[in-house]
Amino acid sequence: MRLVHTADLHLGYRAYHRTNAYGINIREADVARVFRELLEKTAKIAPDLLLIAGDIFHTVRPSNAAIADAFRQFSRFREKAPDTAVVIIAGNHDSPRAAETGNILRLFAEIPGFQVAHQEPKRLRFPALDTAVLCLPHNSLFAERQPAIEPDPDAGINILMAHGAHEDLKLISHFGAALLRSSDIKPAEWSYVALGHYHLYESLAPNMIYPGAIERTSMDVWSEAGRPKGFVELETEDGKMTFHELEGTRPVIDLKPIAGRDLPPRELNSLIESALEGVSGGIDEKIIRLRVFDVPRDVYRELDHRKIREYRNQALHFNLDARPPQVTRLSGSGAPGRRLTLREELTEFLKHRWKPDSRQVDREALIELGRRYLQEAEEAEALEDRE
Amino acid sequence: MTQLIGRVVATERKPNTTHEFHFWTSLAAQIGIGSIVRVVAEAQTVYGVVVEGFSYTDLMSPLHDYIGADADPEAEAHAPSARPEIRLYSAAVLRREPEEPVQPVPMGAVHLADDSDVVVGLRMDSYVGVENETGIPLGLYTSGGLEARVYLDADFLLGPEAAHLNITGVSGLATKTSLVEFLLASVFEHMPENKGSVAAVCFNVKGSDLLFLDQPGELDESDLHMYGLLKVPAEPFDNVRYFAPYRADGWNLNTLRTHAELMSNVRPLRWGLKEVLQFSEVLLTRDDLDAKADALVDFIRDRVLDQRFGPDSGHAVMRNHLVRTFRDLEDWFDDVLACCEQSGSDRWMTHHTATVRKVRNRLNGIVSRAHGLVVNDDAVSDLPWGDFEDRAVYVVDVANVEPEAQDLVFARVVSKLREGLESGTLGVKHVIVFADELNKYAPSDGPETYVRKMLLDISERGRYLGLVLFGAQQFRSQVHRRVVGNCGSAIYGRMDMDELATPGYSVLSPATKTKLASLPKGDLMVRHPHFTQPVFIRFPKPAVMRGRDGIELFAPRQELPFEDAIAQGLKRLDDRVPLNEVKDLIAGRDRAEVLQAFHHTERGQPDDALAFFRSRLKKKIASEVVETPRRPVAVPEDPYAGD
Repeated sequence: MRLVHTADLHLGYRAYHRTNAYGINIREADVARVFRELLEKTAKIAPDLLLIAGDIFHTVRPSNAAIADAFRQFSRFREKAPDTAVVIIAGNHDSPRAAETGNILRLFAEIPGFQVAHQEPKRLRFPALDTAVLCLPHNSLFAERQPAIEPDPDAGINILMAHGAHEDLKLISHFGAALLRSSDIKPAEWSYVALGHYHLYESLAPNMIYPGAIERTSMDVWSEAGRPKGFVELETEDGKMTFHELEGTRPVIDLKPIAGRDLPPRELNSLIESALEGVSGGIDEKIIRLRVFDVPRDVYRELDHRKIREYRNQALHFNLDARPPQVTRLSGSGAPGRRLTLREELTEFLKHRWKPDSRQVDREALIELGRRYLQEAEEAEALEDRE
Repeated sequence: MTQLIGRVVATERKPNTTHEFHFWTSLAAQIGIGSIVRVVAEAQTVYGVVVEGFSYTDLMSPLHDYIGADADPEAEAHAPSARPEIRLYSAAVLRREPEEPVQPVPMGAVHLADDSDVVVGLRMDSYVGVENETGIPLGLYTSGGLEARVYLDADFLLGPEAAHLNITGVSGLATKTSLVEFLLASVFEHMPENKGSVAAVCFNVKGSDLLFLDQPGELDESDLHMYGLLKVPAEPFDNVRYFAPYRADGWNLNTLRTHAELMSNVRPLRWGLKEVLQFSEVLLTRDDLDAKADALVDFIRDRVLDQRFGPDSGHAVMRNHLVRTFRDLEDWFDDVLACCEQSGSDRWMTHHTATVRKVRNRLNGIVSRAHGLVVNDDAVSDLPWGDFEDRAVYVVDVANVEPEAQDLVFARVVSKLREGLESGTLGVKHVIVFADELNKYAPSDGPETYVRKMLLDISERGRYLGLVLFGAQQFRSQVHRRVVGNCGSAIYGRMDMDELATPGYSVLSPATKTKLASLPKGDLMVRHPHFTQPVFIRFPKPAVMRGRDGIELFAPRQELPFEDAIAQGLKRLDDRVPLNEVKDLIAGRDRAEVLQAFHHTERGQPDDALAFFRSRLKKKIASEVVETPRRPVAVPEDPYAGD
């Protein structure tokens, strides 16, 4: 049995406020294009089973264009690969929190041969393939009554498909997805574990794979720079696994950072220019970040911003990430030394540590007022002592 | 008419004082150490208790008798006359009437005390036989055929005037546990109505003595006679609840009360993170818990546990947490340490990563160190806080549990009792806590422990709250002075001579000590605020089954296999549960899953245990057979216009 495993399509993803000639967000169009490539390549492979492990759409309420395009592409796929069974589960991005919102993925169940699990866990048996697929959509992993994650003893091939963050990824944030533990999944009991949610290709075990997203759609898109995007093909009989790269993705480039300490604006301008000139094939229509460290604000202001605007126009997105020098505090409130008087403490606090809510507050006048109150209090106390 | 037995005497060498007097009696007088006597003189009546006895003749020295008998012991039988023998007793003053002026005891006739003399002599007339009487029968004073009831004053036993009872005596002579069992029955029967409700919490720290309090024991005629006199029903307790943790396997209860017929009132004791964290210092040694670690534990307890903690609520971690179990806490620690690693800092907030790691290891170690009692999930099972019932006995069986876990149980149960009584939310107004082995829990020396601090706190403040400690130990001298010192009443069973030689017993006469060292079963000496001198009494065997008999009659069941234990556990909750159906239901399922569902069912106490249990098991997912249909597909228009 041959299967193709993909996940995290994020159809309808938008970024950078740049539109094409048809008024469509360019990144949205990018994702749609790669999605077409995915289905075309899959149709050529003509697998027995296509598994899509969640996050088909980027939001629970995608645009009409995204819905219509997805339906169209899936229908075309059906036409081209009529024998491929397609199984889709919902991820955290396409699972509404309120059940009454309804799930757009149900639409695809109307296409012949498409199976969708969007809320409840489902076990689908394909007798012709001697295969059972246990589908765990996002919401099923948060249900009060958890599903029993166990293979079907009557099936020759058992596949688990789930959308969640596996504990071994050691992610710093799960972004709302369920935590999947190997102790619950027991990967060894399955022929294959098809996971979705993590946007980079990751093989957690020989039979437990995240194929990654089809385009670079993470919040931190730079973490995906230079990493291939694609899908997984598996031949279950011999266990042969192939990662098919998708070529239509837009390049995302995270350039080598520039150390800007003590450099004058002119020199920095030239370093930025040469960094961008070094991008193979030019920067046109690419997504680029260039970090420049230790650039004081006054130096940053003096950079050639006209040129920078030109770069921004050339690239689809150019992020000049100029960071000011890190301030290392040599003394702090807990540092040893002479203890401040109350008057000094007040002045110190109001001058350096207090952040006013409004810019209209005159800091110096406030310090003066505070000092005067202290003076009055001291005088009143002295008078009381004398009495 | 009271029995005249002798006359007070005083010599220059043996004068009477204000607190002690001497009297002679005939040889036939039924009197001995501990007997109460009444001296009737012209101006006053004095009550005393015999503390010493002497016997002598007119013989000048033993040598005279030896020579007179020609060194032949047989010659005594042929002596023409017997030497006159005198019996002389010393008695300590219990009371005098009138109370003032306090003068040496006058010469007068000595009578053996009768019923009313015992009441007056022991000053019981202020709380027995009066309106709103507060007497709690403790036993019978017996002397010369007299059987007089001796009462403790409830105001001085259960508060608020004084409180607590300390029992000391060598093991195995039916003093400590038997007396507590009898006294609890007596308190339940005679607790003054105006004092409100009372319950008892007994910690079973060894053996099986407290495990059959609801089963009748064997009583003989004399016991029944005593029960009749003391007006205490000779019946076992009718409302007893048992609590015991699980064994390390998680499904067999760690108690000897596992016979199927007795399981209806046995409940598991199973605590999670929330229950334990407040008392974590009980399980962490002092070396572990320095000030820095203490601060982090406090932080977790106050700011993390059972609260939303994460970036959404402005906290310096990367993920949102709701920490309720040890497993959640582990995730929280992971996040905290990941934050530190990512920022390259060796501190999280004000806590050093080394401290974070140390506290993490120690807290997570608690589950394995108190396995069976402390669990990783939230299916906790606990004493019925807030629903304590009047005249109920709650037995917490920790006899087979690790010492550290015993400490934890003790610390938490007593703390919760104190909190409940302080806030008036426990369900009863008074709770008697029976704790044996004070030598272990509140020793006079050794390091300061949480449990000892708590026992000190109960003994010092408990009487205002209605929290009464009935403590017992083998060596009173080796219990913390403030714990025993704060006990209003003290009971002494048969004692070891070495123990009696310690300074704490120097106020007792040699004869009293000797009597204490040879007290028969069922006899004891009592001190009570109203009694100015210790008094010897006798109490009946408790009307409950002895541990040894209980184990024979209700033999503990063997450890059950997992499936049987779960099935029988559910049947215990709901008699209608078919055992085979449960076994079929759990066959092939993960044990952890089944156990969690079972513990949730135990906790929920549902009417339909099987349905509840089934709903807590993970959902089995049935297969849907998919046949790929061949249907034509209509491809819609391109919404992105070919881009």
